Amino acid sequence: MTESPPPKSVSRFEANLLRILRFFLKHVPAEQAMRLVHDRIDRPKCLSADAVALVRDSLAKGCVLYLVRAGAWKRDRFVRDAAPKFGRLWERSPVERLTLSFSPHTLDFLMWITAHRPKEERPIWRVDGKQLTVADRLLFFLAYEAMRIDAELGAALRLSPVFSDNALIWLAHPNDFAGETHTVPSFDAWLTEPGSLILEALQPVLEHRWLEIERTKGQIGDWTQLNQQGQVQTRVMDAFTQAVDKAGRRDLVRFLLAVMSRVLATPDLAPTFWTGGLQGTGPQRLADRLEIQRNALAVLRQAERLRGWERQARRTGYMDEDYAASKFWLSEWERFDFTTVADRADRVLQQLEPLRIG
Amino acid sequence: MSRAYRIRVKERLRQDLSASDEVCADLEVLEILPGDQMAELLSKELKARGFEEKDGELIRSKDGVTVIVDPNSGKVSVRAEKEEKVELETEKEGWGYDDVGPQGQQIRRQLSEQAKAELERRSQRQQERLQGEATEQLEKVMGDVRKELSDAVNAVTREALKQKAAQLGQIKEMTEDPEAGSLTIKVEV
Repeated sequence: MTESPPPKSVSRFEANLLRILRFFLKHVPAEQAMRLVHDRIDRPKCLSADAVALVRDSLAKGCVLYLVRAGAWKRDRFVRDAAPKFGRLWERSPVERLTLSFSPHTLDFLMWITAHRPKEERPIWRVDGKQLTVADRLLFFLAYEAMRIDAELGAALRLSPVFSDNALIWLAHPNDFAGETHTVPSFDAWLTEPGSLILEALQPVLEHRWLEIERTKGQIGDWTQLNQQGQVQTRVMDAFTQAVDKAGRRDLVRFLLAVMSRVLATPDLAPTFWTGGLQGTGPQRLADRLEIQRNALAVLRQAERLRGWERQARRTGYMDEDYAASKFWLSEWERFDFTTVADRADRVLQQLEPLRIG
Repeated sequence: MSRAYRIRVKERLRQDLSASDEVCADLEVLEILPGDQMAELLSKELKARGFEEKDGELIRSKDGVTVIVDPNSGKVSVRAEKEEKVELETEKEGWGYDDVGPQGQQIRRQLSEQAKAELERRSQRQQERLQGEATEQLEKVMGDVRKELSDAVNAVTREALKQKAAQLGQIKEMTEDPEAGSLTIKVEV
């Protein structure tokens, strides 16, 4: 009988670091890990070889498992070489193109977050964004997502460009940036492999987030808050849709089609679905009140851009190089019955206009 | 012997207050004829309704409300403006002492600051009132403007249809039902 190797032993600091990492990867509940994030512990000069091996193992298995569970497992169609390809994520792309490489900055961040109290520590951990890999950015996204349950901690993290310049964080949590003047970061890293593959896997996550955003808008009572949220959602969606269009990856807005078709499943939805929670009379000027209500319907406004893509796709001829991608976009359009959805979005937007003419 | 002084300070504020509110929208004019011809028909229709052309836009001002229509882009703006000159005055009173306690100069400065602050507050209230009036005025005319512009667009559409029909062939019969808003044109091609 072969004996299993003895368990690897690690120091208290290393144990905390591993627990925090597994919390980011959604393997450890928040109540166990948040205490460790808030605590301060002396940082050792380096980690033991065993600890590094365990971090590497957790990152390798944890990130892949997260992406698989998020949506990579789904048999779906996404664009590959300007044509749709069907299958699970690892069937659509060869495994060698799915590799995630982490830079030493990931380990440095994990050591920093374990050793310091991020809410109090200034300056907060930062690194030149150019030195980060897509895998690093994915981990920072997961770290932010895990820690933002503490609003103060989330605000502290956003002071670092590592988080505030991460376009995936903006896309998944736009409201966290409401009222901030920061420009929406570039989506370029997420529209080339392996970033685009991560975005494919995250489609259900993004759909869930934006659906939640839309469904909770009607409970917002504060006019300024609703206005700021609407403004940032418009900025994020405009930047994202323009970027995917430029990259020839319109299929990556599938989550938006799904969100709109689910929100507008009822034919007679009124603007009060989004604005019904507003308390008081709001700003004195009609123009200001109208602007806020228009901003509340930020997501519906995207229907016009998507309709433009549909028209463009219908004009694409067989000999055009984007024929297959255009056909694919039209099939997505039909799948979500988006003509009906876009008409409903138009009707809701029109209801808001005091000068409905024509 | 200690003496107390009664000090009175008067402050005046003259201000030109202005408030405005505006709603913008797009006219949805069907492109039955080429864009420039539709714009021309719209200009003609709006001029008949009292609009005046200025720098390519059609403008009508009435009772403090200005409606501006760009016939080429179809952009409409309805703006209510209010202006008012206000003259506010306040007087503050306090006591100064020539031995112990606040001195006259100091009291005068304090009273003057208090009076100015009060005038600012009153002016702010006047501004809010004026803004409320401008918004109310805009809301009041909105329904009429909408109806009028809607009628104008319908008239333009009817006229454009007639011209288009005439281009297609000879108009044999034309019936209009203003109640139902329908227009039937029979054309011999």
